[in-house]
Amino acid sequence: MMTFLYFIPNSWLPLLESAFYALIFPGFVAILLLAFFIIWFERKAAARVQMRYGPLWVSKRTGGIIQLLADMIRFSFQEFIVPQGADFIPFVFLPGLLLAFSVLPTVFIPIGPDYSHIFPSSYTLLLAVAFTLVIPVYLVVLGWAADNKFSFIGALREAYLLISYEVPFILAVASAFLLYGTLDLVKIVGIQESTLPGIILNPIAAIVYIIAVIRATGRVPYDIVEADSELVFGPYTEYSSLMFGFVMGVPYIELYSYSLLFSVLFLSGWAPVTGIGFLGGLILPGIVTFVKAVIVMCFLVFLRAVYPRYKLDKAVRAGWSWVFYLALISLLLSAFVSRVLW
Amino acid sequence: MSDQKTPRKSALGEVKGHIDALATGFKYFVDPHRMTLDYPAEAMELPKNYRGFFRLIDEKCIGCSLCEIVCPSNAIVMMQLPVAQPPAPKAGAQGSQQAGAQPAPRPAPRVKKRPLVDWGMCIFCYFCVDVCPTEAFEPSNIHDLSYFEESEYRPTFEGFLKLPESPSRNSRKVVARLDEKNGIRYEEKGDKE
Repeated sequence: MMTFLYFIPNSWLPLLESAFYALIFPGFVAILLLAFFIIWFERKAAARVQMRYGPLWVSKRTGGIIQLLADMIRFSFQEFIVPQGADFIPFVFLPGLLLAFSVLPTVFIPIGPDYSHIFPSSYTLLLAVAFTLVIPVYLVVLGWAADNKFSFIGALREAYLLISYEVPFILAVASAFLLYGTLDLVKIVGIQESTLPGIILNPIAAIVYIIAVIRATGRVPYDIVEADSELVFGPYTEYSSLMFGFVMGVPYIELYSYSLLFSVLFLSGWAPVTGIGFLGGLILPGIVTFVKAVIVMCFLVFLRAVYPRYKLDKAVRAGWSWVFYLALISLLLSAFVSRVLW
Repeated sequence: MSDQKTPRKSALGEVKGHIDALATGFKYFVDPHRMTLDYPAEAMELPKNYRGFFRLIDEKCIGCSLCEIVCPSNAIVMMQLPVAQPPAPKAGAQGSQQAGAQPAPRPAPRVKKRPLVDWGMCIFCYFCVDVCPTEAFEPSNIHDLSYFEESEYRPTFEGFLKLPESPSRNSRKVVARLDEKNGIRYEEKGDKE
């Protein structure tokens, strides 16, 4: 393992691996590059479907892929304004906290079979889901702290939708748990490798999971919280400068964690590639998992080009009616399939 | 609420609707039918009498202020510009003036009145071009302008004497044609109809 780093003592290697995992792949650097790519892809895909060109003139040869970099440079030179009535401490610190909590689930999601010695736990699914569920609470607080009617309405909508779609989401995850009979994501992928991917074993759970993810990350048709044509930018309305860049990135990073979890739970993770060691057990399988997650993300942001926005009441009704029923059916299906298979 | 009847689809119909929508989106994603113009690289060929920016021909202008009076958006302001000092009258002529009873001729005006257009307010109605008795405005079909600095934008008399440079002056000129498949299709200027 990592023989090219011969000058480093062996006892440091696990630490180095963890640092690599957190900072480079699939952590910080990969997330940053992916956020750039996915926002560019979202704009370009919507433009293609809507008969436009999309971002084009910042680096024209690559089709404007560094447009977001230009935007970020512009944001970073703007002034950060705190509104007079705003609650200072939550207003200033919550964007960073949101960013941290949107990245945090990726710590618990394995990208390779050899992950268990980086984070030795058999409850990784539970931990990952628990940390994704913290974000909406912060969003509500953030919308309240800004002292702006748009932020406040956005926060209220977030609260409504949070309650209506968290239950199906947890039921979908629970049906995955029921299906595989374990909370250890490495073991879950092992089960899928020996049988079939989870999306074939329980497609209904996968659909419910995807719908809940679209809601949680505010993608169209569930961009009711941000709703840029009604509420300026939902809970994030009052933010400017680099803080705006932060809060704009949060849904995409959330999307990344959810998609990574989806690819591990339902798309059999690193399935064709397995191995041991740093390269064979983390990097190569990690690339497979990552590519699957990116495909899921591309599909989810592509929906912006197809759907209009749901009305709040209809979305809440759907969450408590057919999405909820589907989630219950997926539980039954999981019970049935797990009884038949093992 | 409950007595309103909306057309309801069956569950399968709803699913089919979603799949159809996604398929249509994917079709356009793979094979885009772009209707917009890649503007600075290619630009529409405009008709000759398109009402664009115009310039002032200083020699023709008589400073009658008709353009200022007719301008519906008050974009034209008459400026008073100093003229070069007229040549001083000769000494002999002065003597004859003193001798004769004729009144002194009026001195040549020190200022001339010239119009100046604020393009930010102009609505390109061309009333001023039509009303000008000496045809002192030279029209053009340039309709796009861009500046890097605000100081370049400020209207000046010298700037009004020449036509502005369009950012699309070197771009590929295209003509829009109706197309059954695509809606709008852009063709090179020289192509056949």
